[in-house]
Amino acid sequence: MGSLRFYFALWCAKLIKLLLVLIGRKGTYFSGKAAIKICPDFLGRIGKPGTIIGVTGTNGKTTVCNMITDLLEAGGADVLSNRLGSNIDAGVAAALIDGASLSGRCRKSVAVLEIDERSARLVYPYVKPDYIVCTNLFRDSMRRNAHPEYIASVLTEHIPAKSKLILNADDLISSAIAPGNERVYFGMERLECESEARENIVMDISSCPDCGRTLKFDFRRYHHIGRAGCECGFASPEPDYKAVSADFENMKMKVLERGEEREYSLISDTVFNIYNELAAVTLLRELGKSPEDIDKALQRTKIVRSRFREESAGGKKVTMLMAKGLNAVACSRGFDHVSSEQGRKIVVLMYDDIFDEKESSENIAWIYDADYEFLNSDDIVQIIPCGVRALDGKLRLLIAGVPEDKITTLRRESDVAGAIRYDDADRIFLLYDVYRYEIALKVLDEVMAKIREVQR
Amino acid sequence: MKVEILYPEICNLFGDTGNMRYLMSCLRDAEFIRTAVPDEPRFMKSEPNLIYMGPMTEKSQERVIERLKPCRDRITELIDKGACFLFTGNSMEILGEYIEADGTRIEGLGVLKLRSRRDMKNRFNSLFLGKFENMEITGFHSRFSSAESEEQGFAEVVRGCGTNAASLTEGVRKNNFFGTYLLGPLLVLNPDFTQYLLKLMGSEARIAFEDTARRAYAARLEEFRDPKRHLD
Repeated sequence: MGSLRFYFALWCAKLIKLLLVLIGRKGTYFSGKAAIKICPDFLGRIGKPGTIIGVTGTNGKTTVCNMITDLLEAGGADVLSNRLGSNIDAGVAAALIDGASLSGRCRKSVAVLEIDERSARLVYPYVKPDYIVCTNLFRDSMRRNAHPEYIASVLTEHIPAKSKLILNADDLISSAIAPGNERVYFGMERLECESEARENIVMDISSCPDCGRTLKFDFRRYHHIGRAGCECGFASPEPDYKAVSADFENMKMKVLERGEEREYSLISDTVFNIYNELAAVTLLRELGKSPEDIDKALQRTKIVRSRFREESAGGKKVTMLMAKGLNAVACSRGFDHVSSEQGRKIVVLMYDDIFDEKESSENIAWIYDADYEFLNSDDIVQIIPCGVRALDGKLRLLIAGVPEDKITTLRRESDVAGAIRYDDADRIFLLYDVYRYEIALKVLDEVMAKIREVQR
Repeated sequence: MKVEILYPEICNLFGDTGNMRYLMSCLRDAEFIRTAVPDEPRFMKSEPNLIYMGPMTEKSQERVIERLKPCRDRITELIDKGACFLFTGNSMEILGEYIEADGTRIEGLGVLKLRSRRDMKNRFNSLFLGKFENMEITGFHSRFSSAESEEQGFAEVVRGCGTNAASLTEGVRKNNFFGTYLLGPLLVLNPDFTQYLLKLMGSEARIAFEDTARRAYAARLEEFRDPKRHLD
């Protein structure tokens, strides 16, 4: 701490935060941004809690952060987090400012910080987490993240040497970051209900990192996630915490923890959320929490409603499913989920980038990395690409083999409820980008109203 | 009709597989040969109607250079003979003289008079609008590198950036070799160019889903031409 500049930055930031609250603005990172602008090493000077947990990775970091925070709070911890804010350096600073007194001392005992992979070079020199959870590394927005090999190199370069890593053993890219650091792996055996993955377009690692030969997968879950090896002896690391079975009827999973079997409640029936839960459980076990306490807290935890929400009326179920737009893997997971659900289905796609549609023109390359082919199935009876890029969506679907008469293009989301062929299906899926949550919520209301109207 | 896709297991970044998916829709009877890294390229013994390579990671560039070194003379011969090539993203750098990166120099194949420089601290993103013959070309740049080239450019720059910040042209055209930093589904985005390429390849086929492709192209062109819309 110290330095007049630091105190000036802290007090200005606190004042900005107060003013934002007074005028009803969320201002999730403005206070942090201002503080760093005034005092560039602000993050290094502000007081921090005794335990810092960082969560990074391409997909699932917000969900994992929320779970860890909820589970710690359920155990009585006073947690500081940026769960409602931004995950770049300014967001981390804003969270630390919220948790600090006017003297800059931290009033909380634990911090759970979601840290964007690309912000590693700005955050880790100053904030050195005791634990860093990395959920996975996949292809993400090409503009921001280039490719996973690049992101892995950024993390390896900047992760503090003292941080203990919680890594996904089934991901050959993220499991290899910062090889000198102490690490614990989580992973998942092939579950009884799982079949071999369908072919994905994106496969971010296919060659052995040691010798360059083609990797052999014992089991590939999706994309490059699974268990692989090479004839040179290279193999996926063995998980210390391994989910060995999942019972979706009773929503329980069994986890082998260094040879000892434990049972935890499942909070979602999707495989990618089991990974998220495993990451959170592994971290908490490493923090010394008991399996019983973790399970009790899990029973009260839910996936944030903005990410997954279902409503039913008139024998029809409408599901909202959020995915990061511009992120082919996240959207492919959504497509896979939709196609694996039972029933006759209608899918609405609302993935257009909300910023580019007004000021620029979206780089749509990512839609050719996403598995639109999964939407080409007999039980999907109508697909509605919606927004300024609807024609691009239609062309992508045609290339994926979807018959033209199943595709309805719409420019405006407000036309969705009127365009759905309700009689043809019993499931309706609204797939939307993170920044379109409010819009998707409105569409949900309009669709539900229409279903009820038809019912009357 | 034969199309050879070079090293698709690693040269597949940024949605570029869309190019070959679209071509498969256009040329339903064509044979698409997927040459993996350990295999000898088919073009060493025959002449496919198109040889395609997409963008890759920086590490993969070195691997591909090593694999293609024994093919250097054959690539030169094919380009001189007028064989069709489409190299997108950073794949054209492979055929250049060298790639400069962090003070080191990675020797390329030297087929093209092109020298590239990589700066991993700065990623350059932009939309691109250009002219090739009488066609408007739309596309996307997202790259760590730029290049100096004495070869003829592929497209004149109308909006956006060329092969380097000062260049008035983008990419390389040498006979029927087309190299471009543009990435993503270039052929899907540019129906006129795709129709032109199909003809060069010796096909009379019309582009697939022509009506939708042209309407999507027209909508994009309108946005790309609009000076109020930013490019990055």
